Amino acid sequence: MSPPPPSGPPGFSRRTLLAASAAGLAFLATGCTSSSADEREKVTSQQADSLSAQIAVQATVVAAFAAAAAADPGLGAEVADLVAQAEEQLARLRAAAPGNSASASPAAGGAPPAPETRAWLSGQVAAASTSHATACLDQSGARAALLGSIAAGLAGQTVRLA
Amino acid sequence: MADDSTDPGALDEGTENAALREAVAAEHAAVWGYGVVGAALDAGARGQATVSETAHRDVRDRIIELLDERSADPVAAEGAYALPFPVLSPTDGAALAVVLEDGVAAAWVRVLDQAVERTTRELAIGALTAAEVRAVGWRLAAGQSPATSAFPGLPKQ
Repeated sequence: MSPPPPSGPPGFSRRTLLAASAAGLAFLATGCTSSSADEREKVTSQQADSLSAQIAVQATVVAAFAAAAAADPGLGAEVADLVAQAEEQLARLRAAAPGNSASASPAAGGAPPAPETRAWLSGQVAAASTSHATACLDQSGARAALLGSIAAGLAGQTVRLA
Repeated sequence: MADDSTDPGALDEGTENAALREAVAAEHAAVWGYGVVGAALDAGARGQATVSETAHRDVRDRIIELLDERSADPVAAEGAYALPFPVLSPTDGAALAVVLEDGVAAAWVRVLDQAVERTTRELAIGALTAAEVRAVGWRLAAGQSPATSAFPGLPKQ
């Protein structure tokens, strides 16, 4: 494949594909709680409750990683980066929730011993991904974007856990 | 009393269609780019590039159909696209696939942010999730770490 000419056609890497990031998502990077976003989106109480419920779902994922690490320390070491990402997702969800009220206790349950631990953990992560994706459908604006992104991120984690 | 003022930040079909047009552009680029990816991969790995290209072609065609139904002109494909880096090896090909999927993911997150229709969000979450699942496979193939992303499609904080 020959390299593109210096003055060639529009490039997808810097222009077409990343244009969306530059165009209007900057406010998402700051958390979804800015007053401008709130004013624009006018979150309903149902949407707020739904988002709070997803905090509990995400907390369960974090608890599942801890339970899996306790049951299979080798697996725990292998997926340390996934744990960090799940915790980061939880923090962002908490920041995005109106009133930041939900702090439900996680209830992941006990993880089975190896070699079943990995499949159990993958199932927990996949279930949370599906839950976030479903909740995303009834949200709007930055909150829909955040939930959708987290759902996709967890789906990607299941590839690593396969 | 009717309010004739327009909130420039409000979501409506116009914002949704604009985001969908950006998604069409990203999908066009992905379809084209996977041709380059496939050419760079070893024969045994080309099937995955073909599957990915087909998935993007299908999604692109769905959005174009949707925009046509709304009489909103979809974005046409470019004749060619500049590559972000030379693609000279299977690793380069996998890295290009990551760029393609990440770009598509950003476009679909934008759709989620701008959409007003539930069905559009349904389309977007499916396409976004599929893009990230493919991206993880390509990051692994390219030797990139971490292979997963906490927030696919969202700009880094």
